[in-house]
Amino acid sequence: MGEFKVHRVRFFDYMPTGIRCMAFNSKTERLALARQDGTVEIFNFSDNYFQEKVIPGNDTRSIETVCWVGERLFTAGLNGEITEYDLVNLRPKYSMDAFGGPIWTLACNAQGTRIAVGCEDGSVKVFEVLEEKINFEKNLDRQKGRVVSLSWHSSGTQIAAGMLDMIRIFDVQSGRAVQRMLVDRGTTATHRRECVVWSVVFLSDRTVVSGDSAGKVQVWDGSMGILVKTHLVSKWDILCLSVSQDETSLVAGTSEGTVVQFQFISATLGEGDKEWVRTRTFKHHTHDVRAVLELQRSIVSGGLDTQLVVRPLLDKVDVKSYDTALRKIHFPHRSLVSCAEQAGLLLFQFPAHLELWRLGESDSHGCPGDRLPVKRKPEKLLQLKRKGEEHISCSALSRCGGWLAYSSVSSVRLFRLDCHSNHLSIVKISRLPKVLSSAHQLCFSADSSKLFAASSHATVHVISLSQSECKYVHTFKPVSGCTESVHLLAPSADGAWLATANRACEIHVYNLHKLKPHCTVPVYGSCPSAMAIHPTTNNLLMVHADHQIFEFSIAERRYTDWSRKLQREGLHPLWIGRDTPITQVNFNPHKPTHFLLQDMYMFCVIDQSLPLPDRTTQFYNQLTLRSLSEEERQSRTHAFKICKKFQPLLSMHTLEDGALVMVERPLLDITTQLPAPVRQKKFAT
Amino acid sequence: MAKKQRGKTGTLMVKQKSKKTAENLHLGVASSEEDDDEAPEEVTFEDSKAVALRSMREAIDTARREKELLKEKRRKRQELFQEQKKRKLLPDDILDEIGSSVPKKPKASKVQVENAGDEEEVSSSGAEESEESHTDEGIEKGKKKKKRRKRRSLMANCSVTRLKEQSLASKQQQSALEFIQSRLYGPGSNRTTVHELLSLQDKRAPNKCAATQFVDKQWGAEKKEKAEKFKKRWKNKQGVELS
Repeated sequence: MGEFKVHRVRFFDYMPTGIRCMAFNSKTERLALARQDGTVEIFNFSDNYFQEKVIPGNDTRSIETVCWVGERLFTAGLNGEITEYDLVNLRPKYSMDAFGGPIWTLACNAQGTRIAVGCEDGSVKVFEVLEEKINFEKNLDRQKGRVVSLSWHSSGTQIAAGMLDMIRIFDVQSGRAVQRMLVDRGTTATHRRECVVWSVVFLSDRTVVSGDSAGKVQVWDGSMGILVKTHLVSKWDILCLSVSQDETSLVAGTSEGTVVQFQFISATLGEGDKEWVRTRTFKHHTHDVRAVLELQRSIVSGGLDTQLVVRPLLDKVDVKSYDTALRKIHFPHRSLVSCAEQAGLLLFQFPAHLELWRLGESDSHGCPGDRLPVKRKPEKLLQLKRKGEEHISCSALSRCGGWLAYSSVSSVRLFRLDCHSNHLSIVKISRLPKVLSSAHQLCFSADSSKLFAASSHATVHVISLSQSECKYVHTFKPVSGCTESVHLLAPSADGAWLATANRACEIHVYNLHKLKPHCTVPVYGSCPSAMAIHPTTNNLLMVHADHQIFEFSIAERRYTDWSRKLQREGLHPLWIGRDTPITQVNFNPHKPTHFLLQDMYMFCVIDQSLPLPDRTTQFYNQLTLRSLSEEERQSRTHAFKICKKFQPLLSMHTLEDGALVMVERPLLDITTQLPAPVRQKKFAT
Repeated sequence: MAKKQRGKTGTLMVKQKSKKTAENLHLGVASSEEDDDEAPEEVTFEDSKAVALRSMREAIDTARREKELLKEKRRKRQELFQEQKKRKLLPDDILDEIGSSVPKKPKASKVQVENAGDEEEVSSSGAEESEESHTDEGIEKGKKKKKRRKRRSLMANCSVTRLKEQSLASKQQQSALEFIQSRLYGPGSNRTTVHELLSLQDKRAPNKCAATQFVDKQWGAEKKEKAEKFKKRWKNKQGVELS
């Protein structure tokens, strides 16, 4: 497996923000998720829950609600604006003021032709969805008190609106309220406070289901305006509701962190009228569940404890498999850490600033497993605050540690770093080429003479850097004409090749000497999650979101023999079934046949000279191997060596001297910084 | 008549024995009663007139002297006040600044006029004078207080205001945020701390371990740093005392 000196880095204070709302597009199988800082993330559920796109947030934009209209994504927030996003270039397309004060909720009708928003001033505004824009159509009758939740009837003629202490049903045609249902404030303790109807669902049989701040899930007859059934679920608020597409199952998220499922079944088996019955309770969260989705085969929930939980409902299946496993997504599926391998510097990316750290040093030696005494402690050299209100979308540090670049949605900034023993100077490069207006991904070449910036429409700009100036050199455009943005860049160590991967799963290789496209790797159905070019052989190593590994020889423009062999024999099922995608590929500078992969729970050394494991061999065999004799060990060993000593991992890098840098972020550290949870009495504590 | 005369002689006797004090006058009366048996002395009208005139003049004299004394006292007091005021006055530049920034209040000028007019209006009674001076002092103090207040407000004049005018939308946004905050975390929401939650989890876990703040090194990093600093300072202090 090899021995490494490891820098165990725990000073990256990565802190995700809480999940505010979610929406699922069942046609494209995409989940849109909005966080409290205004970031929108898009997960592809058909591609192993891979976090496909991240639209960086903005301090002025708060998101309260998110909604798919066909393949278009709309959000609205407390700044009173409805925003549509450009999902190709990952930025807001336009914002429109609804002129009703802060917007609490946004709902689209089943036909996808109209959007209704509920505003602070008590109005429900209906917008018409047109090509490329939305148009204000009408105001429904204005009420006193804010409109907190909305739901369209499937026919598109009526809207149920949850407000303070009541639910109203509006007729869209006339704009009049046709029903008014008063919600009970609950027990005496909460009697003085108004009851907020946080969520409301309008079913096609005109049943209205509401979840409110008194902890009740209530079922109403919407045509008559009467209460049918009350389920007292929690002592705290019911914050969100979601109903499955066939309207037989409904889930409610509570402040306690539980998700409660209701099903539309008959109380006695076989005969009888069907009614909504509380069936199951899931508790995967410690904090408020602010968003929940019922997707027939799974329940997706997210809340203030910042994790996204996918709970499959196939729990009666005996065989454990990838589809039945509970899935928690904590970390972004991209790297927020860049490393200067020569200088031993780390750059951490936060939404509002960048941090530059120098790694610690130790000159002593020890046997494997020892903890070496640190001669020089890791040191924070620089904290760089971003300008403006837009969050940082990507950042990069050159290999020598002399250049630093970051980008937001509207600007790219480049800095020259000069780091001597105890002195650090930073100079902003003021005159950047005009093409460099924004970047989805930034990367420096191995010799730090070029900057690659992935820009809009899948183009990659090449900028040459020197002490005196930086000059625009060339723009690479994909031959396929694809416009999806590039999310991975991999330059080769000798400066001859640049590989780019875009979100349409295409991987292009460009020749940097001739400034021409070289070749395109055959498109594989899953999005590439990490890739790198081998420093000596110039083979491109790609890992996809479904954990498939490919090795492509750039010079010969074909898959290597090892890659073919791997595909022929197939990967081990335990490898395929791994939970989190590989986010980093590195090479061992001392052993060219080794390469290193990292996901959240492990890092893995793959030795290409060893035989591949087949389905029957023991996959995690390190402990067994240790107990065996030398000859037996030779026969039992296989290519995948997995180390789970360091977790949860955010990133992994190899330094020039062969040392590993493991950037860990203990989940406990994140938990301790979360907002206040509810006080629950537990028996015998 | 004889009685009158006797009285006159009494006063005369008094004048002869002791002229000024009232006590002596009283004694004199007593002494005159002592020599009641003696024959009344002959006093001419001129004499008695002269005596009466003299006594009148004396009375006027004393009154004037008293007034002068009072005047003197008040002047001294005034001087003292002025000196005190001078001593307590702020440096000129600050005063100028105040003068330029705040228009002079009419009250202050009135006080000055009163002070100036004091020397002419001497005739009013002493008690009233003292009271007036007292009120003067009060005003003075008030003025000083006002000045001090003014100065404070000048120093703390840099109140926090937004350069960009806060729009209606942002105000509404703020109130909406406050609403959601108060509903979820406000009074009556029955919240606890993450620390409590973790300790509860730990209590119910199969393997008990130390509380999070001991396990997690990042917990309360600031407080720990503060404690470290305090410890250093304390050690230094102790070291100094010992040596």
